[in-house]
Amino acid sequence: MHLLLHLIQAMAVFVVIAYAYCKSPWFRPVVFGSLGARDKIVLYLFFSLLSILGTYLGMPVQDAIANTRAIGPVLAGLIGGPLLGTAVGFTGGLHRYFLGGFTALSCSVSTTVEGTIGGLVCLYLYRKGRQEKRLDPKVGFLTTFFAELVQMAIILLVSRPFGDALSLVQTIAVPMILSSSMGAALFLNMVQDQRNIFDRVAATTSARALKIAERTVNILRRGFNRESAADLAQVIHEEAAVGAVAITDTEKVLAFVGYGSDHHLPGEPIASALTREAIEENRVVFVDGVRASYACPLSKDCPLHSVLVVPLEVDGRVIGTIKLYERSSQRFLNMNRALGEGIASLLSNQLLQSQYEMQKSLLVRSELKLLQAQVNPHFLFNALNTIVSILRNDAGRAKDLLIHLSNLFRKNLNRSEDLSTLEEELEHVHSYLEIEKARLAGRLQVDMEIDPTLLGLRMPTFTLQPLIENAIKHGISNMLEPGRAVIRARRDNGIALIEIEDNAGSFVEKEVRDGHGIRIVDKRLKILFGAAYGTTVACRPGEQTKVTVRIPVGGG
Amino acid sequence: MVMKALIVDDEFHAREELEALLNETGEFQVAGKCANALEAIQAIRREKPDVLFLDIQMPAINGFELLSMIDESHMPIVVFVTAYDEYALKAFEESPLDYLLKPVEKARLAKTIQKIRRLQKNGEHPVYAGQAIRKIPCLLSSKVKLVNVDDVEYVRSSEAGIYVVTASAEYYTELSLATLESRTGLVRCHRQFLVNLDLIDEILLQENLLAEIKMKSGKRVPVSRRHLKKLKETLQF
Repeated sequence: MHLLLHLIQAMAVFVVIAYAYCKSPWFRPVVFGSLGARDKIVLYLFFSLLSILGTYLGMPVQDAIANTRAIGPVLAGLIGGPLLGTAVGFTGGLHRYFLGGFTALSCSVSTTVEGTIGGLVCLYLYRKGRQEKRLDPKVGFLTTFFAELVQMAIILLVSRPFGDALSLVQTIAVPMILSSSMGAALFLNMVQDQRNIFDRVAATTSARALKIAERTVNILRRGFNRESAADLAQVIHEEAAVGAVAITDTEKVLAFVGYGSDHHLPGEPIASALTREAIEENRVVFVDGVRASYACPLSKDCPLHSVLVVPLEVDGRVIGTIKLYERSSQRFLNMNRALGEGIASLLSNQLLQSQYEMQKSLLVRSELKLLQAQVNPHFLFNALNTIVSILRNDAGRAKDLLIHLSNLFRKNLNRSEDLSTLEEELEHVHSYLEIEKARLAGRLQVDMEIDPTLLGLRMPTFTLQPLIENAIKHGISNMLEPGRAVIRARRDNGIALIEIEDNAGSFVEKEVRDGHGIRIVDKRLKILFGAAYGTTVACRPGEQTKVTVRIPVGGG
Repeated sequence: MVMKALIVDDEFHAREELEALLNETGEFQVAGKCANALEAIQAIRREKPDVLFLDIQMPAINGFELLSMIDESHMPIVVFVTAYDEYALKAFEESPLDYLLKPVEKARLAKTIQKIRRLQKNGEHPVYAGQAIRKIPCLLSSKVKLVNVDDVEYVRSSEAGIYVVTASAEYYTELSLATLESRTGLVRCHRQFLVNLDLIDEILLQENLLAEIKMKSGKRVPVSRRHLKKLKETLQF
């Protein structure tokens, strides 16, 4: 019992060492699982010392030493493989050998074997693709347990006289097996805790980057100017927790938040040579405050001491910089450096995206307005004249048509959402068609062939109206013979096709003047769904015009 | 005196409405209602109306184009009727043409009637500066074919009517030779023929001051004594 307590004491020392080790830089390779030759030498020295320490912390018993020497070799084997395990075991064993005693040979051999066992377990787990398991405390416990059993067997086999060996094993077996196994398990437990902390730090950094991305995306929609830059700098300052944040364009400071904001003023020209360097050479400039210090060109009392300048790039052109500062009292964390570069590339992307979107949407929106405005006079007065005429003989029908007319105009005015379902688009078109059918009397027939499962299909608002209007205004209403239009919605290879057909076949000759509506519809579809979608027109002059709209099913 | 009116509009309800309005005034007898320009050309020739109520926006041939296809000898007084045409109508403000906006107001129609009466009283024969005809409407069995003037080799008149001849085909048209002569670049070479000077291959001079034109397609067109002189002047040979 006394022996067990003593060994547990020795084990406690190991745990302290393990704790210190986990905090040291030599531990990193273990966490990231990539062991270079240098890392292995460090591990070899560390675990060999641990093994030898185990011997010294042992307790002399019957001309032998009860000890926790096994922990070092087994762990070395588990972490670094058979070679490292065997080497550490051999070193620890050799040391033990020179201490003498009737178990000198057996102990040195068994320690080597124990290292090999740890290594074999490691190898086995790698082969199984479960190498993470080798740092599991349970695996450490069982491996050490087994290794110590083997040691006892070796003592019995090798040490003579056998009687003394047997007596020794009876005394030391239980305490040594238990304490060593527990020691190994505790050691690995500590390692795992430390790994978790690393993971959490990495997760926090990612979370911060994502949070910044989320908070900035809407800011940059407003463009890159002093207002948006001020909000941006504020967000980054809050989330990155650095001393100060500045954003510049290529000539002046757009925003500055944090320490030193009393003399770093937005609107002032760029004073720092570092920033100009970053802009001119389009590269990251970092002054870490240790090897070199940032000297504020504006004020001697500036508390800022280190700075990271990252260029903001849009379309290969530097449009400004983002700068993170730390005070002299704060070390510029490597993590913040990575974060800073990440933020800059993120902002660059967002800027590019928002610039692109703004240009496109401005263009398309103004064109859409134009298109909506074009609907009006001819159609309206013709419709009114038709209704006035019908009123003479059929007041009920005239009333229906007036309601259709007011529906149509109300929808034209109210449809502000960007996306509509096919059903909404067809409803919108329905009123229009009812009026046109009345106006053209027998000259217009419209057939609908709609796959009902596509009614929920989403598309830009005002996709159908211009196409159908085109078919009637520039197609059928110019025909001397009766016209027929077909509106069809069907599925084809996982894509929704909407086809608008007329039998006028007058698209080609009208293309230049009236292709306008179709072009805008096409552009909007491509912006929303990508270049593979949009409208195509097929025309057999004098026979048929068919406009096909391709939309992804479930898209949008 | 009740005036004879012809209504030309491609929309059924618009025709009905205008007819009702004209009848209400008691000033008109509606002689016919036409849905397109071709029907209108026939009806004008047949009915010789005093007043033509003409829609501008119509399929294939619009109101302006129709105007240029009417024989000057039969030209009625024209009132354009349109739903909306801010630009085209401005040009007619100073001319004897009048226009009505749809839906037509009774009071506005009354003014138009006054204007027509004044024109008739003065005995003015309406002359409208017609535009050039670029495409000649021709009747196929069930369709209307618009033949490009540049493709026409010659036009011939026979007892059956007027035929437009291209290199590959021959089409019947309602337009008169006189109209085609004055509104297209086709040149009279015979009492019954107009020819497209651009498509002439050679002119074969014959005795008796006659000639024959060989077209690029090989077709032959006679030249009468009366027209040969003018043709010589035009082509300078």
